[in-house]
Amino acid sequence: MDEGVAAKNQDITETPTLPMTEAAYLPGVAYDEMFAADGGVRSHYDPLHMRMSTLGGEELAGRQRTLEKSFLLQGITFTVYGAGNSTERIIPTDLFPRILPANEWARIESGLTQRLKALNLFLADIYGEQQILMDGVVPRELVLGAPSYRREMQHLFVPHKSYANVCGSDLIRCQDGEFAVLEDNLRVPSGVSYMLANRDAAKRTFPGTYRAAGVRPVERYPDLLLATLKSMSPEWRPNPQVVVLTPGVYNSAYYEHAYLARLMGVPLVEGRDLVVHDNMVYMRTTTGIRRVDVIYRRVDDDFIDPLTFRRDSSLGAAGLFNAYRAGNVVICNAPGTGVADDKAVYAFVPEIIKYYLGEDAILPNIETFLCREPAQLNHVLANLDKLVVKAVGASGGYGMLVGPHATQKEREDFAVAIKADPENYIAQPTIQLSTAPCLVDGRIEPRHVDLRPFILSGEKTIVTPGALTRVALKRGSLVVNSSQGGGSKDTWVLAEDGPAQPHGQPNGSSRP
Amino acid sequence: MMLARVADSLYWLGRYIERAEHLSRLSSVMLNATLDQTDSGVQAVWIALSAVGEPDMSSAVGSFEAAEALVLDRTDPNSVVSSLALARENARQVRDQITTETWERLNLLYLKVTDPDAAREFAEGSTTFLHDVIADLHLFKGAADTTMSHGESWRFMMLGMYLERAQLVSRLLEVCFAETPGRQINDHIALVSLLRMACALEPYLRVYTAEIEPRHILEFLVFDEDFPRSIRFSTSQIEANLSALARRAEAGERAGPERIAGRLKARLQYADIQELESQGAGALLTTVVNECARIHEAIYETFVAYPLETRLPA
Repeated sequence: MDEGVAAKNQDITETPTLPMTEAAYLPGVAYDEMFAADGGVRSHYDPLHMRMSTLGGEELAGRQRTLEKSFLLQGITFTVYGAGNSTERIIPTDLFPRILPANEWARIESGLTQRLKALNLFLADIYGEQQILMDGVVPRELVLGAPSYRREMQHLFVPHKSYANVCGSDLIRCQDGEFAVLEDNLRVPSGVSYMLANRDAAKRTFPGTYRAAGVRPVERYPDLLLATLKSMSPEWRPNPQVVVLTPGVYNSAYYEHAYLARLMGVPLVEGRDLVVHDNMVYMRTTTGIRRVDVIYRRVDDDFIDPLTFRRDSSLGAAGLFNAYRAGNVVICNAPGTGVADDKAVYAFVPEIIKYYLGEDAILPNIETFLCREPAQLNHVLANLDKLVVKAVGASGGYGMLVGPHATQKEREDFAVAIKADPENYIAQPTIQLSTAPCLVDGRIEPRHVDLRPFILSGEKTIVTPGALTRVALKRGSLVVNSSQGGGSKDTWVLAEDGPAQPHGQPNGSSRP
Repeated sequence: MMLARVADSLYWLGRYIERAEHLSRLSSVMLNATLDQTDSGVQAVWIALSAVGEPDMSSAVGSFEAAEALVLDRTDPNSVVSSLALARENARQVRDQITTETWERLNLLYLKVTDPDAAREFAEGSTTFLHDVIADLHLFKGAADTTMSHGESWRFMMLGMYLERAQLVSRLLEVCFAETPGRQINDHIALVSLLRMACALEPYLRVYTAEIEPRHILEFLVFDEDFPRSIRFSTSQIEANLSALARRAEAGERAGPERIAGRLKARLQYADIQELESQGAGALLTTVVNECARIHEAIYETFVAYPLETRLPA
């Protein structure tokens, strides 16, 4: 947190104080979700703020413990393997929901719908006629040279041109209060089970506040997901058999795979449960083998079929891709969608939207420098102390340099790596993600957050009115990935805004 | 219709749950018996440890340490904690097939016995600790019974449970009445301990009153029609669950396991204590153990690891 600003805030006569904390809540330079710059509480946070002010520190700590215990009991855990024994940890979860007013959500919703539509058209194009490459809107080598581009997918029929059926985009709120897209996840985005589990927990923790706030429900996600998956199956299979394909119980997202399978009421299969015979996919059941129509796979492209992709994989089923080519099974998301969420292709998404839809992007991108362009490379190298540099192929917060927080040595090492392989790096300005109140060691403190909504796309495109808010639990940290010590919290999307809405956006979009 | 792998996991879930309960009860009864400084206590310890295959363990390390190892030793795949860990691992693999209520009971119990404080709690009050473990396992079974559909998943779980039970009770009786005729157990207190190990004391008393006779115990634990831990009851449950499962199998399929189970059930249904006494209990008990092993194999061949060639569409 910026010390200077913190001191300045204390000078304001009406410093917002929350009685149960020892220290006043001191937002930094970033946009704060609860407090406006003048120190007043944003109106959509009023009910929660009031509730927070009436609960004592002990009471809050008690509720936090209850919350964590319920996560442990449900088995919403990941396993940390140590020497000799293994321990189960829960993903850290924060008590206080993050609240989004209806008008802001409407904009996010239309922006995400527009974006996913354009990206699906882009995928259909680059695996089809490649018109966008002919027209030079996106550099040909950038797309065709990307490791995530799957030539095996060329000229393959995908129903409704829906390549990415499940998408989880990462949005951030910049210092000016506007949302921007940081990343699109079109491969196997995870986190939706945490959205649902957090909602469950929030309803138990703040029932009165929840009811009074008028929050839009997220509980329909599983049945909408099932409908989306079924819509991908051909009409002549009237009652398609859907399955969820998991890498297995040792995968860190296994809880989510089992959770979705259970709530959709479909089998959770592993690669060894599947058999491909005559280009049809079957699963081994107790009463013989049974045809499978749609596979919601939570296994990466590389591992789904050892005959087509990585030969050493035992997580998939041999012959699966050929069955897909033959049209006898649908794989969701389609293999090869990763090329559209490539960090370098990302820079071109606004042009991609314009090219296919003739519209301006509703949600802006973060300014991105491609190190493959010599001029931009020089700019990046000269400003390493201000930029965030990311390896194009990496994810999960790995292979990343946060310039302002890095040491001189780290920056020099990174400069060498960038010069050696400029095509593999992009850079973005360091964005102060917005902050939201979190309970940390019994005190309420601001922590940086992002927003991951989930978009379904089959016959129709549906944005679930809710999201996973990821939290960087370390003070001042801007990295929210759970592999890097991030946590999460529930996200409330309000059904309608109250009459007084000082920070309004024009509500000009409609739900699809 | 369910995945073969899932059926396998549910079957083993049932087996491990039953094993954990049986081991907890053996340890509990054993520790209680040693409170009396008599020969009967020594006999009870010998029965319990022989039933788990380690008759000399108590003289080597002492009975408390033996019980502690039986319950909390994670390196021993047959301890209570290992059985519960395996049960939970299997439950986790089929988390989509069992209800949240059922899962939570098991997960809670698992977290309790793997807690770093578990050893201290056990040392401070082993009877309370084991009582709670057994009570939690009953809660698990109750939650499963009242919240899960009694369909295929349930049947596979019950199948594992009753097969394990038939084998464990047979083993316990073998130790007492078959293996070492020279060491016939006649001591009243040791026999009461035996009934407690089979969780049979109160139901037994209602049938035979407080006349504790080896002959009656054998009759009760082998042939009683209504007692849920008798071998006859277990085999009839195995048969019932297998016939229900076989009905779901594709027509024309000649399933093996329910035939073996039917034969075993009939054998116990029509035998009586006179026959058992004239031939010696050992022969029948060995038959039960062996036939259970054959049923186990046949279940695999029919439902889980069947050759694919036989099931492919023509």
